[in-house]
Amino acid sequence: MATLSIQHIDKIYDNNVQAVFDFNLDVKDGELIVLVGPSGCGKSTTLRMVAGLEDISAGKLLLDGRDITATPAKDRDMAMVFQSYALYGHMTIYENMAFSLTLRKENPNVIHKKVLAAAEILGLTSQLNKKPSQLSGGQRQRVAMGRSIVRNPKVFLFDEPLSNLDAKLRGSTRREILLLHKRLQATMLYVTHDQTEALTLADRIVCMSMGHVQQVGTPLELYDSPANIFVASFIGLPPMNFFDVRVSAGELIGEGYKIALSAEEQDLLKDYVNKEITLGVRPEDIAVGTDVPVKVTNCENLGMNTLVHGNVDLGQTRGVKLTAKLKGWCEYKTGDAVSFSFKRKHFFDKETTNAIRKGV
Amino acid sequence: MTAEELTIRRDRMRFIKNSLSANLCYIGILFDVFYFVSLYKSDVGSYYYNIMIGASIVYNLLFLLAVFLASEGVKNYKMGYSYLLAAVGVMQIVRIFVIPMQAHSATTLVNGVETAVMSDGQFYRILVFLVVSAACLIASAAVNYSRCRELTAHLKTLESQSA
Repeated sequence: MATLSIQHIDKIYDNNVQAVFDFNLDVKDGELIVLVGPSGCGKSTTLRMVAGLEDISAGKLLLDGRDITATPAKDRDMAMVFQSYALYGHMTIYENMAFSLTLRKENPNVIHKKVLAAAEILGLTSQLNKKPSQLSGGQRQRVAMGRSIVRNPKVFLFDEPLSNLDAKLRGSTRREILLLHKRLQATMLYVTHDQTEALTLADRIVCMSMGHVQQVGTPLELYDSPANIFVASFIGLPPMNFFDVRVSAGELIGEGYKIALSAEEQDLLKDYVNKEITLGVRPEDIAVGTDVPVKVTNCENLGMNTLVHGNVDLGQTRGVKLTAKLKGWCEYKTGDAVSFSFKRKHFFDKETTNAIRKGV
Repeated sequence: MTAEELTIRRDRMRFIKNSLSANLCYIGILFDVFYFVSLYKSDVGSYYYNIMIGASIVYNLLFLLAVFLASEGVKNYKMGYSYLLAAVGVMQIVRIFVIPMQAHSATTLVNGVETAVMSDGQFYRILVFLVVSAACLIASAAVNYSRCRELTAHLKTLESQSA
C-alpha cells in the first residue's frame, strides 16, 4: 500500500472562486482518513484533486514520496468509488468488476482470479452472473468497491459511497467498509457529510468548513477536544449546546443562572476573568441538577435515552435553547420547569471561536 | 497450457458468455445476406419467377430468425443450439445445389437472344458466400458443443468438490 502527502493544496476555479485553502495532510500507510464537513466545504473537491479529476491550483501531492501533482488520473494508481456506483447496466457483475483490468489487457486468467477473490471478500460470489439492476443498492455499492479492489490500487478513494442507501443499509454497508479496510489494510480517503460515518470509520478525521481544514485528529479527539465552535457543533448528535457567559471569580455567569467553576477550570480561564466566552456543553453531559433553570418545550423518548428540549428560563417567554440527553425514560411535559447541571464543559474564545486550552 | 490455467479457463466459462460462437453466427447471417442480395438482384427474363424463389425467400426469413435465436442460445452455452446450427450450416451447402447450380447451367431467351441466367462470376461469388456462411455456422456449432461439454464437466467437478 502507500503513503500520501498533501502539501499546501489550493483549488481556485476559473471564475476565481477558491474552494480549498492551504490543505495539508499526511496519510500514513494503511490509514483510513475521513474528510467530513457540510455541503460545499471542499471535501469532494479535495478528493477529486487527489484522484486527478480536478487540477491542483497550487501545492504538491506526493504518493510514496513521488510527486504526482501533474500526473494524469489513470496513472495515479488510485481507485475511486462514487456515490452513484457508476456500474455498466448492460454488463454482468463479473464483467463490471473485470472491466478495468480488461481495458488494461491483463491476462484473462489473472483477471478471473482477482475478480473471484474480490467477490469472495465482498460476499458477491453468488451474484456474479446478475446484472446491476437485479441487485440492491448495498450490493451495487459492494460491486463498485469490488471493481476498485481488483485493481489493487495504492489508495482507495470513496466519495460519499453510502449517501444513496437507506438508513438500515447504510449501517450494514458501513460495517462492511470497515471490515474491508481491516482486511485489506489499505490506505483510504473517505468523504462524507455524515458525522456518524466519520466517527465510526475513521482512523483520523479531517473536519472542513468553507474550504479550510478546521481540525485533524482521531474521532475521540474531535469529539472530546474540538478545536473550535464549528467542530464542536458539527461533531456529536444532538449537537453541542452553546451559551454566552461571563467569567467571574470562581463562576460563570449567564443570563438567569450561575455555574461554579472547579479549580482546574478557574486556572484554564484565568486570562478570561471579566470577559465573555462561549460555553459549550454536549447534551449527554447534562444531568438534572441545580445550576440552570430550564422550561421544557419538547421531550423525545428514545427508549434508552430521552432528549429534553427547552429554553433557559429568563423569566420571559423565550430564552437560550438547550437540549439535554438524559439516561432512561423521562416524562416531561411542555412548560415543566427543571434545573440542569453540566458535568463537562467546553470553553471557546468568543472572538476567535477557538477552544480555550491550557498553554494555548 | 498448464492444468491450472486450463481449469481457470473452464471456470471463466461460468461467467463469460460464449461470444466466439455468437459472433460466428452473426458472420454466418451476414454472408447469407450477401448471398440473397446477390441472387435476388438478378433480373434475367422470367427465369426466377417460380415457386422456388418464393420458397427461398421464406427459407431465408426462417434462417435469419433461427440463427439469431441460436446466437443467443450459444452465447449462454445451450448445447441444443449446436445441433440447430450444424443442421442450418449443412443446409447452406445444400442450397448451392438448388437455385445457384441450376441457374448457373441454365439459359433463357432475353429479347430473342439466348442468355446465360447466372454468369460464372456471380455463381462463384454466391458459392463463396454460402460456403463461408456454412463454415461459420458449423464452426459456431462445434465451438459451442465443445465448450458446453467442458463446462458441464467442470460444473460436475465443482459440485463433487463442494459435496
